[in-house]
Amino acid sequence: MDPITFSIIRHRLFRVVEEAVITLKHVSGSAITNEGHDLMVSLYRADGSLLMGGVGFLHHLTSAAEACKAVIRRFSGRIEEGDVYLLNDPYTAALHTSDIYLIAPIHHEGRLVAWSACFVHVYDIGAMNPGGFSPESPDIYTEGFSSPGIRLVERGVLRQDVFDTLLNMVRSPEMVALDLRSMIACNNVAKDRMLALIHKYGVATVDEACAELIGQSERLLRKRLGELPDGTWRSRQFMDVKGEVHRVELAMTKAGDSLVFDFTGSSPQSRHAINCTQWASLGGLFAPLFPLLCYDITWNEGVIKPITMIAPEGTVVNCRRPAPVSVATVGAIQSVNNAACATIGKMLSASELYADEATAVWHANHFAIFMFGRNQRGGQSIGILTETFAGAGGARSFADGIDVGGEIPNPISRMANVETMEAAFPIRYLFRRRMIDSGGPGRHRGGAGCELAITPHDAPDGGLHYVVSGKGAEFPMSDGLNGGYPGAPNSYIWVHQDEAGGDNRDARFAKALDELPGRKEPVTWGVFPLMGKDALYVRWNGGGGYGDPLEREPARVAADVHANLVSAEAAQAVYGVVLQADGRVDEGATAERRKTLRRGRLLTEAAE
Amino acid sequence: MSRRLSEGLVQEDGRVRCRACGHDLAQAGTPWKAAARLVERPMKGAGGKAYSAGAAVRLRQFCCPNCGALLDTETALAGDPFLDDVVGA
Amino acid sequence: MGERARYIVASDVGGTCTDTVVFAAGEPIHLGKALSTPPHFADGVLDSLDVAARAMGLACTALLVETALFVHGSTVVDNAILTRSGARTGLLTTEGFEDTLLITRGAYGRWSGLSEDRIKHPVKTDRATPLVDPAAIKGVAERVDYKGAVLRELEETSAEEAIRFLIEERGVEALAVSLLWSFYNPVHERKLRALIERVAPGVYVTLSSEVAPVPGEYERSSTTVINAYAGAISRDYLQSLESKLGAAGYRGPVMVMQGYGGLLPAREAANLAVGMIESGPAAGVIGARYLGRLMRDADIIACDMGGTTFKVGVIQGGAFGYAREPLVDRYHYAAPKIEVVSIGAGGGSIVALDPETKVPRVGPQSAGASPGPVCYGRGGTEPTLTDVMTLIGYMDADHFLDGSIKLDLSAARRVFDEKIARPLGRSVEAAAFGIYRIAAAQITDLIHEITVERGLDPRDFVLHSFGGTCALLSATFGRELNVRKVIVPYTASVHCAFGLVSADIVHEYTHAAVLPVPSPPEAVNDLFAPMVERALGTLHREGFAGDRLSLDWSIDLRYSRQVHEVTTTVRAETPLDASGLVRLVDDFEALYERKYGAGSAYREAGIEMTLFRLTARGLMARPTIEPASLNSPDSSGARIGRRAVYSEAKDAMAPADIYDFTRLVPGNLVAGPAVIHTPITTIVVPDAQTARMDALRNIVIELG
Repeated sequence: MDPITFSIIRHRLFRVVEEAVITLKHVSGSAITNEGHDLMVSLYRADGSLLMGGVGFLHHLTSAAEACKAVIRRFSGRIEEGDVYLLNDPYTAALHTSDIYLIAPIHHEGRLVAWSACFVHVYDIGAMNPGGFSPESPDIYTEGFSSPGIRLVERGVLRQDVFDTLLNMVRSPEMVALDLRSMIACNNVAKDRMLALIHKYGVATVDEACAELIGQSERLLRKRLGELPDGTWRSRQFMDVKGEVHRVELAMTKAGDSLVFDFTGSSPQSRHAINCTQWASLGGLFAPLFPLLCYDITWNEGVIKPITMIAPEGTVVNCRRPAPVSVATVGAIQSVNNAACATIGKMLSASELYADEATAVWHANHFAIFMFGRNQRGGQSIGILTETFAGAGGARSFADGIDVGGEIPNPISRMANVETMEAAFPIRYLFRRRMIDSGGPGRHRGGAGCELAITPHDAPDGGLHYVVSGKGAEFPMSDGLNGGYPGAPNSYIWVHQDEAGGDNRDARFAKALDELPGRKEPVTWGVFPLMGKDALYVRWNGGGGYGDPLEREPARVAADVHANLVSAEAAQAVYGVVLQADGRVDEGATAERRKTLRRGRLLTEAAE
Repeated sequence: MSRRLSEGLVQEDGRVRCRACGHDLAQAGTPWKAAARLVERPMKGAGGKAYSAGAAVRLRQFCCPNCGALLDTETALAGDPFLDDVVGA
Repeated sequence: MGERARYIVASDVGGTCTDTVVFAAGEPIHLGKALSTPPHFADGVLDSLDVAARAMGLACTALLVETALFVHGSTVVDNAILTRSGARTGLLTTEGFEDTLLITRGAYGRWSGLSEDRIKHPVKTDRATPLVDPAAIKGVAERVDYKGAVLRELEETSAEEAIRFLIEERGVEALAVSLLWSFYNPVHERKLRALIERVAPGVYVTLSSEVAPVPGEYERSSTTVINAYAGAISRDYLQSLESKLGAAGYRGPVMVMQGYGGLLPAREAANLAVGMIESGPAAGVIGARYLGRLMRDADIIACDMGGTTFKVGVIQGGAFGYAREPLVDRYHYAAPKIEVVSIGAGGGSIVALDPETKVPRVGPQSAGASPGPVCYGRGGTEPTLTDVMTLIGYMDADHFLDGSIKLDLSAARRVFDEKIARPLGRSVEAAAFGIYRIAAAQITDLIHEITVERGLDPRDFVLHSFGGTCALLSATFGRELNVRKVIVPYTASVHCAFGLVSADIVHEYTHAAVLPVPSPPEAVNDLFAPMVERALGTLHREGFAGDRLSLDWSIDLRYSRQVHEVTTTVRAETPLDASGLVRLVDDFEALYERKYGAGSAYREAGIEMTLFRLTARGLMARPTIEPASLNSPDSSGARIGRRAVYSEAKDAMAPADIYDFTRLVPGNLVAGPAVIHTPITTIVVPDAQTARMDALRNIVIELG
């Protein structure tokens, strides 16, 4: 194919996706879509295979491909120009019910030539708990509306009966209507632009370019895999829900130009909604794989071909119906993200050529707290604490992780301003800052996470409620690499200030958790009140560290202590760095301390 | 001829060795952690006050038995097998 | 200013050159160009004035004595930020939120300003180093809530300690003060300023409630820090410029261009460093709008392409849009700035093949001015877009930049053949034309982004082509966009300076408050009244009255529970009555649907007004350009030869007529394929298109 035309078509396909993303954000107008970038738009070929994946929540790229294929199977022979299909059943293709796919065929002169698909996390899906994550659900039946494929728009005309039926099952139907409309508009834009491209270059040329684009991605990834050493790398993730421990076990084997992800050994499926289906696991491993291994390769079907997944049925990574899955995206899927990031990091690190691409695990644990209740203007508010998107970077071979630097599977997220949150919800923040000792120690430190506390403010009902489906403070999840420590775990604490009793300390302007009087109760899972003078304290994880902390430049440790990112105690105990009273490194004492710590390692028994 | 296996390990003369001191840990293409020193401690408090982990959670540190270089870490519960990484020989 | 003061002088300081333009009624435009002189930019301004005066046969002093108005645009603030040469700056903020600036709303500061290619590669991304040393950020005990109520009084004693610490221990020279919700209630920020002035009178202070009184503490803090960081530099610079001009005989006012496209008197501009950011591109858009007025075009796509960057701004119905989330370098700021988007595509853009796939790409890397394109013969070894233009005959190797540089065509051919054409298996000319098509397609996609993606149809627009490289490509991408016509303005070479003299004095006032719809009109009028009073006072002091001033009201509205706010102009009489308010809301709804698409409006949740804006204009006298009378279409008098250029229709090199712009006269027609050489650029007229010189000496290529 003519490389000039190919170059132009490739760039234009990319713009088609970008423009559709902008439409989605514009029409939706919701905070989770616009701030969190919790969305995805991609183009698929006529057979449903991924053609061009956009930058969004990347674990959706392959699931939406499966959703296209499911619609093709179900509606075979009845797919018409102008149709739009809705699919959100996790056991068919979706990740969880609240991430609704809208899928639209693109016809040229009556012939099906491509598909566009998109998702947003809709405002509500009618599950037991508001907002989509439904920790109290015992099964899929209580996780809200779920469809394995239904025609929402027929030959360009909205099926009002279907639309109204859907809206009849959700909270805040007006907002969900807007979400659905945004996805219809997004698919329309993708279709218009795709057809303009076909009109200009001809259907045969565009088709050839698409096939070449997929072939090229496959060749490039296979070549890269060929350059990496063969081997098997393992990782393990723990998920703690109400004292029950679940694990995701991964052995990733690279041989020649292909890669196998084997999740054998992972826990049986849970009665809690952290499970995920096989399509979700596949998406979960591709989410880090695209940016870590294919940063310069177009994300499409060609990248998928060299990859195989083994996920035993009946486990947390391939659950059987009717296991609940509403928390999957921040449950098993995120653990699959983390496990894959860890093994890919190890593989890259084994290569002289690619060592500088290796990273410890970023932001491994979304806390995904949804608040709901009557706001200061008397209306109802439901919404996510967007800090869950703020994340923390894993440390790299050449630099520290980025403090509060986001996450790999969703490369362009952000969190809202405190002022935005205080205007939208009847709450007041006491503080929001980087958390000391949260970044995993290492020669390069993991990026710091944060801590925040909120308390009701001007709430007509005295406060509000929140849904938390976090995996809590039991296990750190952002693994370190090459000797780096994992980042510190999440923590959520309900501070019962109304019970503070005789304590006269003024808690209203507390600067830290320690200054908040009252009983402190860790919460991780379920629906809780935030009322009266009570406060909710949230701490989110740091990124994993890289390399031996005893090799970190002492001056950097001193700078971290000075910046309140590392405590003086951790500097001594973990980094072996002793500081003088003026905060500068005590060189002599540090050398001595590091020698002692290293000798201490030798005094222990051999591993076996 | 030395070949990179990870940040702290290299393969030389058919053996997995510590990059820092050259200590022989295992035959190339086989797991090496059994030959390392294992420093195992509670995860709680391991990296500072923010490490609020459960009582049973351990931080495993695999170190070179000769020079003490820290080669790998794992988060584990008691009895978990090592995460044995093997780079093809 | 006596009667002799008849000149309007505009100087635009760019990164490389400082341009001066002198206008006077009934006289030709005079130009002066000199090298910019960082960091003492004022010297370069005087140099360029000197050049212009000499071209007029005057001494610089003689010119300045006869000058009524001096208008100025400068990159001094951009330069201070790009070179990190601003003041040592400290930040005072609300206790508990000391990290707001550093954590940049999470990953936002990590990916903002990066190309899509780099966003897809997160492991290799990082935040920009903050302009404030993290150790120079101090929290102060105070708290104001979302409605502006003081929940906790400012603790002045500890605040004073914090100030002393920053000045004595951290050695800060400037202080930014940015507290939560200060735009609703600035009482604590003002108290802090009073404290700073008492403790350390010489320290430069910026309050967030003054420089960016808008919601969003991260962007507001970042703006405040940028202003404090560059504040002393911009103040000292403008003072030195004023005194140098005064010493050289100038007695009139100095007006300074702002990023939002208006002028401010130097005294006022001196304290608003952030306003000067990207004022050059803003002046370009203002100049395009003025030229559009002269040509009766209200819908314009203004393109500028030089050595490294392609920039484009859009004017619709005579109005321009503001950037939603402006960045300088990679720092966010919240100040009105005309939206101008850019990509790394210019004459110096390097052409390369992907080592694996052999797919060609243009830019974003640039060979810059040094070593520059291969054909410059200054050591450039990578083929660039300029080399491509030379190989396909569009640029004349013998007459580049008026013949001042002789291009090395054979070196360009050798390098391009080896690195591009041969690996592609094509002839040099065919491969070069392919690269030309890729560059044009990238530009088309960018313009598509700023028009179609904003709900605008390029078919309604004319395209202005500025800069040294743009006219080589503009007829090609203009045709692909289906614009009505492409105009290469006569003033293209001094375009930014031209924009400076066509701008008005503009003061922007804002007041943030949330009012539901409907609200009594008095509630809105009461918010505007103090702004109107301030604006009138200021404009009167500056000498504007009667029909030489205008006050425009606009209000940001949004649907409740939606994030998009739309600035809506008040078209009714002010102060507002009930029907005027209804009309405003109708306008908002229409604007919202146009901008965000049909069905995007969510009326059920209600509508809110969130920001009240007053734009106060002092209307400046503009230089007039006399239209010439049109001559015959026959352009043979300007034809200077024939040369082989690439013809898309023939897919081969074919002879084309070559014209000298300076010999064309209004009314002449030039039929494509043809190339017109001007002293600063080259205009390509493709096959089957016709260019004409209009009465204002612009070259116009009709496409529609």
